[in-house]
Amino acid sequence: MPVFVEDPAHLSKSRLKSDLVAHNVELPPGKSKKEVYVQLHLKHIDQKNAADFSSDEEDQVQDVAKPEDAEMPDPSGLTDDDLKAALLVHGVKAGPIVASTRALYERKLSKLLQSDGHYQLNGAEKGILYSDSEEEEENGEEDDAESDVALQPLAKWLHRKGSVLYLTITNISFYFSATRRRPIKGAAGRPVQYAYPDTAVSPTTLERREVERRLVPILIQVLVFLIVVCVLYLIYVCLWDTSFSPFVALLDSLNQMSDSEEGLLLQTEVQDTPAPSGQE
Amino acid sequence: MSTTSQKHRDFVGEPMGDKAVTALSGIGEILGRKLEEQGFDKAYVVLGQFLLLKKDSEMFTEWLKDASGANSRQAASCAQCLKEWCDAFL
Repeated sequence: MPVFVEDPAHLSKSRLKSDLVAHNVELPPGKSKKEVYVQLHLKHIDQKNAADFSSDEEDQVQDVAKPEDAEMPDPSGLTDDDLKAALLVHGVKAGPIVASTRALYERKLSKLLQSDGHYQLNGAEKGILYSDSEEEEENGEEDDAESDVALQPLAKWLHRKGSVLYLTITNISFYFSATRRRPIKGAAGRPVQYAYPDTAVSPTTLERREVERRLVPILIQVLVFLIVVCVLYLIYVCLWDTSFSPFVALLDSLNQMSDSEEGLLLQTEVQDTPAPSGQE
Repeated sequence: MSTTSQKHRDFVGEPMGDKAVTALSGIGEILGRKLEEQGFDKAYVVLGQFLLLKKDSEMFTEWLKDASGANSRQAASCAQCLKEWCDAFL
C-alpha cells in the first residue's frame, strides 16, 4: 500500500498528476508548471494524510470516503428525475420511474455506484482497500464480493478499532445471512475487479468469455494434431510408394551391379592366376 | 430455458385477455394471492409492470421476487413467459 509521505516536490510531474487524478482533484490546465501540481498535491492529498495519520488503512479510509461521499447521495433522497439522470450517467436507460418501479431503480443505482467505487479503487492501483465508513453507508443491497473480500482487510485492522468492532461484526454476520449464495471469488486476495467486473455483464456472457479464452489453445491444439496426422500420412504414403517402384528398382540395380562386379573380379582373378604360373 | 411448461405454452399461445395472475407461468396460488394483495390481480397488470421495466427480464425478475417472494426459477419462468407473449402479441 502506498503511503504518501514523500515530499511532493520530489515527485515527477506525471506522478503528481496521477496522484491528483486518483484523489479526484481537478487538474490545472495542461501548461501549468510543476509548482502548481505540487501545491495542489500539498493542499488536497497531504492534508488528508495529515488529518488522520494513525495507520495506512486510515489514510485509505479518508481517500475512499471522500469521493464516495461526494458521488453517492442516498438514492432514496433523489427526485424521480434526478434518479433517472443518475442512472443515465451510469449508462442505464431507465424506464418510467413510478411508485412500483422506483425501489428497483434505487437499488440498481446504489449497486452501480458501489461497483463504480470498486473500479475507482482498482483504477488508482491502490490494491484492495476497504473502509469502515464505506460499510456503514451500505444499506443492505450489497454485492457479496465485497463482503467476501472485505474479510481480509477487516481482520487486519479489527484489532486496532475496538469501537467499530461490534458494528463490523454485525455487518459481517449480516452479509453472511443475506448474501451467501454466490461463490467466493474474491477471497483469494484478488482485486474485486475480477470478482465483479461489471453488474451489467450477465453470467452467460462471463461464461462465454471464459470459453472464448480457452478456444484459442484448443484451436491450436487441433491444428497441431492435424498437421502431425498429415505428416505421418505423407510419410506412410511415401514409404509405400517407394517400396513399390523407385526404391525396389534402386535395390535391384544395386544388386545387379554388385553381381556384375563380383563377376568381373572373379574374371580378373582367373586371368591373374595363370600369369605367374606362366612365368614359372 | 430449454423446456417450457404446459402453463407457459398455454399463456403464450393466445392473447391474455382477462386471465388471472395465476395464469402466468411460475405464479401459483400462493404467489398469486400475494400479488393480488398488492393489486396485481390480473395477468395484464403484471404485464404492465413488465412493460414499465422496459421488458427488462432481469429487473422484472428482481421485482417479482420482492413483490411476491417468488424464487429465481419461478420469477425467471414468469419473465420468460411475458417476454414471449410480448414477442408474439405486441
